[in-house]
Amino acid sequence: MPAIVLDSEKIKDSVKRIMEYGGTGVLKCVQCGACSAVCPGVKAGFPILCRMLIKKLLEGQFEELVEETSTWGCQACNRCTEVCPQGVRPQEVVFAYRRYQASELAFSSSATTSQMNLYGTGHAVFTEAGPLREKVGLPAKAPTSAYDEKAQKEIQALLDDSPMGELGLF
Amino acid sequence: MAKVGVYVCHCGSNIAGVIDVEAVRAFAETLSDVAVARKDLFMCSDSGQEMIKQDIRDGLVDKVVVAACTPRTHEPIFRGALSAGGLNKYLFEMANIRDQNSWVHAQDPAGATQKAKMLVASAVGKAAKLHPLEDKYVDVTKAALVIGGGVAGIFAALEIAKMGFKTYLVEKEPSIGGVMAMLDKTFPTNDCSACILTPVMVEAGNHPNIELLTYSEVEDVDGYIGNFNVKVRRRQAYVDWTKCTGCGACAEKCPSKTPDEFNMGLSNRKAAYIHFPQAVPKKAVVDMTHCKSCAGREIGTEPKISEKTGKPILAPCEKACPADAINRTLKWDPAGTIKEIQVGTIVVATGFQVMDKGWFREMAPDNKNVITALQMERLISATGPTGGKLLRPSDNQKPHTLTFVSCVGSRDEKYHTYCSRVCCMYMIKQARLIKEKYPDINIYMHFIDVRSPGKDYDEYYTGARRMGINFLRGKVGGLEVLPGDNLRVLAYDLDACTPVEYESDLVILATAMELPSTTRKLAQTLGLQFCGSGFFKELHPKLGPVETATEGIFLAGCCQGPKDIPDTVSQAKGAAAAAAVPLCQGRVKIEPTISEVQTEKCSGCGICVPLCPYSAISLKPYAEKPRAVIDITQCKGCGVCTAACPSAAIVLHGYEEDQIFAQIAALTA
Repeated sequence: MPAIVLDSEKIKDSVKRIMEYGGTGVLKCVQCGACSAVCPGVKAGFPILCRMLIKKLLEGQFEELVEETSTWGCQACNRCTEVCPQGVRPQEVVFAYRRYQASELAFSSSATTSQMNLYGTGHAVFTEAGPLREKVGLPAKAPTSAYDEKAQKEIQALLDDSPMGELGLF
Repeated sequence: MAKVGVYVCHCGSNIAGVIDVEAVRAFAETLSDVAVARKDLFMCSDSGQEMIKQDIRDGLVDKVVVAACTPRTHEPIFRGALSAGGLNKYLFEMANIRDQNSWVHAQDPAGATQKAKMLVASAVGKAAKLHPLEDKYVDVTKAALVIGGGVAGIFAALEIAKMGFKTYLVEKEPSIGGVMAMLDKTFPTNDCSACILTPVMVEAGNHPNIELLTYSEVEDVDGYIGNFNVKVRRRQAYVDWTKCTGCGACAEKCPSKTPDEFNMGLSNRKAAYIHFPQAVPKKAVVDMTHCKSCAGREIGTEPKISEKTGKPILAPCEKACPADAINRTLKWDPAGTIKEIQVGTIVVATGFQVMDKGWFREMAPDNKNVITALQMERLISATGPTGGKLLRPSDNQKPHTLTFVSCVGSRDEKYHTYCSRVCCMYMIKQARLIKEKYPDINIYMHFIDVRSPGKDYDEYYTGARRMGINFLRGKVGGLEVLPGDNLRVLAYDLDACTPVEYESDLVILATAMELPSTTRKLAQTLGLQFCGSGFFKELHPKLGPVETATEGIFLAGCCQGPKDIPDTVSQAKGAAAAAAVPLCQGRVKIEPTISEVQTEKCSGCGICVPLCPYSAISLKPYAEKPRAVIDITQCKGCGVCTAACPSAAIVLHGYEEDQIFAQIAALTA
């Protein structure tokens, strides 16, 4: 593993940027590891989450991690926030870093698909279930945005106006 | 015309780093009343003080102003210089240009320099109008009170008693001993806690100068250093302690059971009980809230007479007592009795409590196999519920895998941000004791980091590693209850950067030490302050570690902050030495900067009497008319009466009207 060259300017910049993206508690971290002890993402093999992500950010590794896929392993369960003894709110740091990654279009193609689905149907994951619904005695079309053009237009207007819209995906 | 000397201190760079000291000195020189204005790197140094003394001896100055740090620490030093130079020490005024200026205005040197000039002008204005004052003295009651009979209180009491002073030792439980009496062994030498504490408890119990007041609490304190009046409330024990021999026969016969506080609820005691086997004094008490009043022997009633035998029907405890010490005909007295004592000084050594595990929902607190470290002490103690055998509470079986969790409630924003200081070491101690006795038990210890600063402490820790105890860096995130009352530990290995999971039979939580909430009432009675951590606040964190803001009241042990036994004993002996000083001197000084009534001006209206926060003022006849009189031992010099008196009959010495107006004039010039 190559050594990290510590650079105070890079560290300051990294802390400033993660805080601007919403990870405001990052400097409170004492690296106790309680968050990673309960994190289902870490357990599932995404090591750069919670404590490790914060550690790397505090060592100035902001841009270096842009292609890191671990951050997308966060399931937003927020157990890290519950057990954190210092009020860091690690999940918010993870989400803040994701915002940076998204702004660099650094996320997997599967994430792109779900974003496109959201834009098109109002659902990140959508499967046509008409026949199945009819089989159990329900109307074929569920009362959701998927069959409601007006609702879709509203969702698209919201997404176009969001930072996601600025990425030019839609 | 006064000849004021002004001395401006650099305080190294503390003041001079912000304030232009030479500008302040030059400004002082221009003030009327100022005879000389000088500066020095450190005015409190010998050479700085000598400068003041020489100017006095040379007749250059007759009032002194020092512009420096703070009167809180340095006023006595400069007053001493005045005395040594031959001037009344109250002809001194200090301008606080460090604590209240350079330290708080570091970003604004020009503004700070301007403020320093104004503060100096104000001090000079006041100093010019100061009068000489004389110290007053009152005699001291040569006795001391120690509140709390744990290891801190016992040592404080013994030290004072050995110096020849009568000492009252008040303890709320039936026996002295405190938490240390509950411990199995002590780090880093593994001495048995009872073996080293019991002889000291016995010594305190037998010392002719110590009067033990156990099963008692301090109800009220008034007075001042040298002369405190204390009311101690003694709970009714329902056993005549002059007769009780501590045989324990009453406890054997008593049928009522309740969780035993001494065993942290891991076993039961009887309603009639002796606190613990080595109790001092070894006396029984009947705990009326759990007493079943057997045989209809309600307390405070005459016994029924048996129709068969014609003899009174007694309760089992009464019948069992071979010393006739239990008499249930005595009146029920839940309030107990008040004993009034007079003492010169007080040492507060009320100790700590450990946090209950119930606070930590993520740590499966309702599971019997999750215990606090203090429960673990009882579980491995020879006098504990299992006789010293390590058996887990859920099934009384020997556990195979043990988990120690550190920093439970300590170093945590949600509970206490401070480190409880002793947990790392006592957890290592418990692990070592268990590993020595049962080498086959697996022990996993989880720390954020191991804190072992102390004589022989780190060696004790590294020794534990060599014994095969497993240390993991990383805070435990939570526990999950598994079938069979085992626990799944959700942990993290910081060094390997991986989550860690395993099954454990018994989990020990090192819950934080904190000040018991019941101590808050005592704090109000004594006028004690709290620090940010919620413990009692010492006078100065470095230089006044046993003193408090209330003169004559001292602190020892964990009520001042978490500490281990060596630190507690050191502080207790220090507090005892400090508390004995006024007793040795035989009299205490009363500063003359207090209020005085000019009787001939007083109209006797009495407005001042209810206003005084210290109840120091009363109306007494003077030339057959009521006139206000101030008790110099009670007056703190707050000035409320002086400001309120419609006849301007009350003078606050050192803060007289013309002096304060001169200050205002200088500040608004």
